[in-house]
Amino acid sequence: MSEMVAVYEEHLAQWLPQLIEAAVNTVRMTALAFVLAFVVGLLLALAKLSPIAPLRLFATGYIEVMRGIPSLAILFLIYFGLADFGLIFDAFPAAVIGFGLSGAAYMAEIFRAGILSIHGGQMEAALTVGMTPLSAMRWVIMPQALRVVLPPLANFGIALLKDTSVASIISAPELMLRARDLASSSFLPMEVFLLAAAIYLVMSLPIAFLTRRLEARFSRGQAHG
Amino acid sequence: MLFWERLWENLPYFLDVLIPAAGMTVRIAAGAFVLAIVVGLLLALLQTVRVSIITVVVRTYIEIIRGTPVLAQLFILYFGLTEVGIRFTPVQAAILGLGCNGGAYLAEVFRAGIQSIHAGQMEAALTVGMTPMSAMRYVILPQALNVVVPPTTNYSIALLKDTAIVSAVAAPEIMFKARNLVMETYLSAQIYLLVALMYLVMSLILAYVSRRLERRLAISGASGMGRPSTA
Repeated sequence: MSEMVAVYEEHLAQWLPQLIEAAVNTVRMTALAFVLAFVVGLLLALAKLSPIAPLRLFATGYIEVMRGIPSLAILFLIYFGLADFGLIFDAFPAAVIGFGLSGAAYMAEIFRAGILSIHGGQMEAALTVGMTPLSAMRWVIMPQALRVVLPPLANFGIALLKDTSVASIISAPELMLRARDLASSSFLPMEVFLLAAAIYLVMSLPIAFLTRRLEARFSRGQAHG
Repeated sequence: MLFWERLWENLPYFLDVLIPAAGMTVRIAAGAFVLAIVVGLLLALLQTVRVSIITVVVRTYIEIIRGTPVLAQLFILYFGLTEVGIRFTPVQAAILGLGCNGGAYLAEVFRAGIQSIHAGQMEAALTVGMTPMSAMRYVILPQALNVVVPPTTNYSIALLKDTAIVSAVAAPEIMFKARNLVMETYLSAQIYLLVALMYLVMSLILAYVSRRLERRLAISGASGMGRPSTA
């Protein structure tokens, strides 16, 4: 144990700035993939609930296929596979696209559950007062559904933050890749990976804490209303 | 098209390599699943014991494991522990890493399941003279099973896919063998497409089996005790 303290005393000043710099990339990758997953997921959810059969079929197929494949396999397909067709991505955008497209399938199910949780009478009432289906969705259903989807959305964000570590396998520049580089150059894998894990923990714990408070508040509101 | 021709030509060779590798994927997933259930159940039961030091230790374990990437945990097990002279084979590290990680998630599932059973059940069992242990075993856990099975089967599907990352510690499963095949043949698009398809088939089968299992359990335990609404 004291050995480990000595190692950190010697190397921390050198490791920490590098790892924090890489952690910023992790956050950027997470944020971009989250936005992509959000947009595609919302479109998929609407498609799955739409009255147009081919749209429904496409959305269902996409969701089922994506949820059955590891995101690592999707990253490999985008990063290595598409290169065969002349579509060459850098590792970072490949990771963002891969996590975004695979996350969209999960996001779609969250949104769908949120929309379905709103009583059908709401839509009927909105249509009765002369709203179009689109504006009823936008002004009546969505604002209420948001409340329901917020906690699972935050949980997805936390899972995504940790999952981006997998992008190090295609050498995308983020926290885990930098940790692997430092571990192999210093021959101190234990200390480096523990430090990297601690940085992930510091990033994810505040979000997890806020989410749990949010969930507790919402469930209280539901119990009374 | 050349793309499909190349895939077709090489398919027997690819399958020769990848199907045994899929067996390894299943073995790793199964091992980790069993370990995760044991660890998760242990952690959930430990939390029902009202000793604050135990609760603190268990909560800390769960929060740390759930707050860090499983890949980091794998690297600590596989690369990190060599520093203190502990060496695992890639497969051992994979099962241990995924299992201990899953244990933290399942602990929360099991805890929610146990808590979903009305406290009066435990009181009633104690009143008729059962020990707390046997009340847990014969009264609480069988009822909690209904609540616990759907999230547990969902976890098993997630786990199956998560095994892909153990290729990073060179465990000889699908993803690792696929990467070797790509280095050998340079047919990355064909190979990774095939790999994606194999995972898809495996998870669809698992999802089908899970749904049947859930339906059977739901019918046998139709008393509906404590099952929370899914809204």
